[in-house]
Order: sequence, then C-alpha cells, then structure tokens
Amino acid sequence: MAKNPCIIGVGMTKFGNLLETPELKNKTFQELVAEAAFEAYDDAGISPEEIDAFIVGNMLPQTSLSNSQATNCSDWLGLRYKPGFHIDTACSTTLTGIGIARDMIASGKYKNILVVGGEITNSYPDMENDFPLDRKPLDRVKLWKWTDYAVDHNYAYQHFYGFDALIGVFGLAYMKTIGLSFKEFDRIMMQINKNVRLHASMNPKAICYEDGTLEEEAKREGFSSVEDYWKSDKNPFIAWPVRKKSVLNYADGASAIVLSSEPKKFTKKMPVEILGYHWAAENWPWDGSSEKIAFEGAYKMAGIKPKDIDYLTVHDCFQSAYLTSSEIAGYLEPGKAWKAILDGRTRFDGDKPMDTSGGRHGVGHAFEASAGAETYEIVKQMRGEAGKRQIKKPLKIAVQHNAGYALHYAVTVYKTAK
Amino acid sequence: MEPIVKKWYDSLERGKIMGTKCKDCGNVDFPPISVCRKCRSRNLEQIELSGEGTLLMYSVSGDTPGAKFAPFTPFAYGQVLLKEGPLFATKIEGVPINTPEEIEKGNKELPAPVKAKIIDGVGGMKVVVFEKI
Repeated sequence: MAKNPCIIGVGMTKFGNLLETPELKNKTFQELVAEAAFEAYDDAGISPEEIDAFIVGNMLPQTSLSNSQATNCSDWLGLRYKPGFHIDTACSTTLTGIGIARDMIASGKYKNILVVGGEITNSYPDMENDFPLDRKPLDRVKLWKWTDYAVDHNYAYQHFYGFDALIGVFGLAYMKTIGLSFKEFDRIMMQINKNVRLHASMNPKAICYEDGTLEEEAKREGFSSVEDYWKSDKNPFIAWPVRKKSVLNYADGASAIVLSSEPKKFTKKMPVEILGYHWAAENWPWDGSSEKIAFEGAYKMAGIKPKDIDYLTVHDCFQSAYLTSSEIAGYLEPGKAWKAILDGRTRFDGDKPMDTSGGRHGVGHAFEASAGAETYEIVKQMRGEAGKRQIKKPLKIAVQHNAGYALHYAVTVYKTAK
Repeated sequence: MEPIVKKWYDSLERGKIMGTKCKDCGNVDFPPISVCRKCRSRNLEQIELSGEGTLLMYSVSGDTPGAKFAPFTPFAYGQVLLKEGPLFATKIEGVPINTPEEIEKGNKELPAPVKAKIIDGVGGMKVVVFEKI
C-alpha cells in the first residue's frame, strides 16, 4: 500500500498543429483539455463524479482565448460545481500542479484530483469577434513577445534579452566548463538529437513521429551522411554554438493526470507514488542556483539519493540540458554526461535512460501541457506500457525535472507502488 | 516605497550607472532591486558602480524575438561579472561575431575586462551595454 498520493491515470492528445494535424484540426482549447482528461479518466477507471478538485494550466490566453481557465473548462471536463483553479509556472506548470494536488490529497480534504494543461503555440484568433475556430498562423515574433512576459521587463527585456541568445550562452557554459571544442560539442549535440528523434519515431503522439529518425530525414533530404545534414544550412545556428534542431519544436496539445489516495478502488494498473517534490524560483539575472535547490529539496523529501534513480527526464527545450541538468541531478557523473551520451547510455535501451518520449523537440513543446506529457511517459514506462520504446530494466524510482520560463525549477520523485 | 526602476533609468540619462548595496550584508545588486538578493534585507542604499567588469562568455542574437531588436542585429549577447559582484547580461561590443570560427576564437580569449557604456536602446531609451577594452 502506497503511503503517498499516487498517479492512477494519464492522458494526452497528439502534439501537433491545430491548423494541420488531422487529430487536432478544428478543435478549441476546451476540447483539447477534455480529450486529454477523458483518456486519463478512462486510464484510471474513474468517473468525473468522483474527481474532487481540478487544476488547469495554460500560459497564452491570446491563443486559448481563455483566462480564469478553471471556469472556462469545468463543464467541458465533466466537473461542473467542482472546485478548480488556474495555476501558472510556465513550462513547469503541470508538474507544479502535481505537487499541489499531492498536498491537497495529503491534507485529507480531497481524495481524487485532476491536473490538466493545454497550450496552443502555432496559431491564434486574429478576428474581431475572437472566435476560437477563426485561427491564423502565429508568427514567432508575436509568440515570443507573449511568451517573454515570463521574463523580467523592468530590465532584462530592455537589455537585448532573447531566448535564442540565452540558449547559446547555456550551451557555451557547458562547453567552457568541460573544456570541449566547438567540433566536439557539435558532435555531442548531434548524438543527443539522434536519440531524441529515435525516441519520437516510436511515439505516435510525438510531433516528429511521422518524420521518423534523424537518419531517415537526412536521407529524404538527399544527404548521404547524417553528419553532413546536421552541419548543412537545413540546420542553421539558432545562436552559436547551438543549432536549430537542438531546441524545441512548437506544438499544440494537452495533457492530464489523475491523482488519488485510493488507487485500488479504481484500477488494477500499477499506481505511481509521489515520493517527494520541490520547487525554486529565481528572477533575471539568473545564476541558476534554483536548479540544484529544486533537486536537493525533492530528494530530501523523497528520502532518496541520486544513485537510486532508474530513469530521469530533464527539461529539454534546449538540449544542452541533457548535459547540464543530468549532472546537477547526480544521474550522470559530473563532467562525463557528454561521454555517457556518445556511448548510447541515455537511450531507451541504455543503462541510464533519459527522456524516452522524444522530449520537447521530438514530442513538441506545448508550453503548459508539456510537463504533463513527460509525466505521462514516466507512468507508461513505470507500468511497462511504453511499447517499442519500453525501457528493459525494471523501474522503481523515476525523477522528473522541469524549468518554467524563467526560471521556475520543479523536480518530482516517483516510485512504483505495489 | 520609492519608484526604483524609474529612478535607475533617469540616472542613466544623467550618465550614472547605479546599483543597490545592502547596508546589512554588503551585497551589491545590479540593476537596483527592492530586496537584497543575498540576505533578503530591505535596508538598501543606492550606490554608483564603477562600470568595470569581466566578460565571461558571449553568443550572438538569432531570430527571436526579432522585431524589437531588429535595428541592432546581429549583436553579441554575453554574461558580465561586475567588479562589485553581481552578474549581468546584455549586448556586448568590441567582440568578433561574423562567423562561427570568429565567435569561437573570441570566446577563447575570455575572461577579459569590459567597461560599461550607456547607449540608446530600443526607442531611444538609455540602456547599459559592455565594451571589451
């Protein structure tokens, strides 16, 4: 019997583009979150009547046409008259929601809680009547103008701040710390992307699923070697030393998680226990200390050590996080993450598996739905339901790491419950 | 509480680069803020900074956010450790940015001393950048 509240159901939509992806086309924000929630209800074997409270994440009201999201979503989720509220810690939101839900259940007042997140990043309604189905493509300049409200506007935004330059600096920081040349760094980043695309090619819900692996794409584009494709003008620098394929793909989608204090009442599937979590926020100019604080706090609450971790998910909207965050987590040896990656150890079939869904490039990044999509993968892996990309070794402890823009680090420790 | 942000930009108009110094622990924050980042005290004083610092690393602007800084692109964006202690990030002048090889070579020459400079940013608003000496 689990001591802590458990995840008993998970759901997510296909991640893609509302204007193009057949599974998403012509849907509104409420329909996206309902679709993810219904999968989670069915997965848990729970009916909405038995959900006691709900939490909704969404960052961009300009695209969802929704604020006060809980009232906008309650009826669509089958939760009319239930207590619900909106939270926002940007790209860590759904993971933050899981921590809140855990403690709400632990308080004894609630037994079953739904955490749902949804985001639309590729299109927005630009018509005077604000009708959700009159959508047009959202250009990157406008998307980042709205997304960057998460960054300090008193000073940072006036001082030439841009997401691209920031990830360039993050990549460079690792290069400098380890003493890697650009050539070495570029080769490592290519290997990371090969892993990301391999994982996504086995995940039908991923935005890159239909495109297959990086090697297959290189061939389709007429390149005889994947190295030549990686270094070609098809993969320009977003900010030196980081190339375009090493960052997120913008996606639309939703994810949902059901937590419960009484798993056995609803399901025979293995519950996933929330052993511990921690969050830490810091404002620009960042020194990044909040990341370590979040890991240490979560491990302390869970009573685990880094060596206990069987599977780690890092927040990979910039893929240098596979190098930096895995070391800060204590999952890979300090200064040696690059080697573990080149040796294939972080693939789904390696001894140190990471981000087996395809992450925020392979699955795609639907901002406040993405952390939930990573929890979805963790639960599927821990239950042994991940299909072709199933990790072979048994998983007892998994850790999820997210970075909300900018910056809200959230770390959660999961354990398979009996 | 006195307006802090307005006062800072006003002092840039007069050519002064100000920070906040904590009267309790001595920590300096830049640009000025309401509470000491180190000890969380509100007992702060405004001090003029030397403008001297060390450039740790730099990358180059890409295509986001794009529109806002278009008149300045491409530009170097880097991390500076100020002489008084705080970290800052802004546009960097006087470093090579034209090719990946140039940027790699430029970064190999770091850390290196830089000096603050007040320039007209977006819309003519005064902002702080750093120039390699």
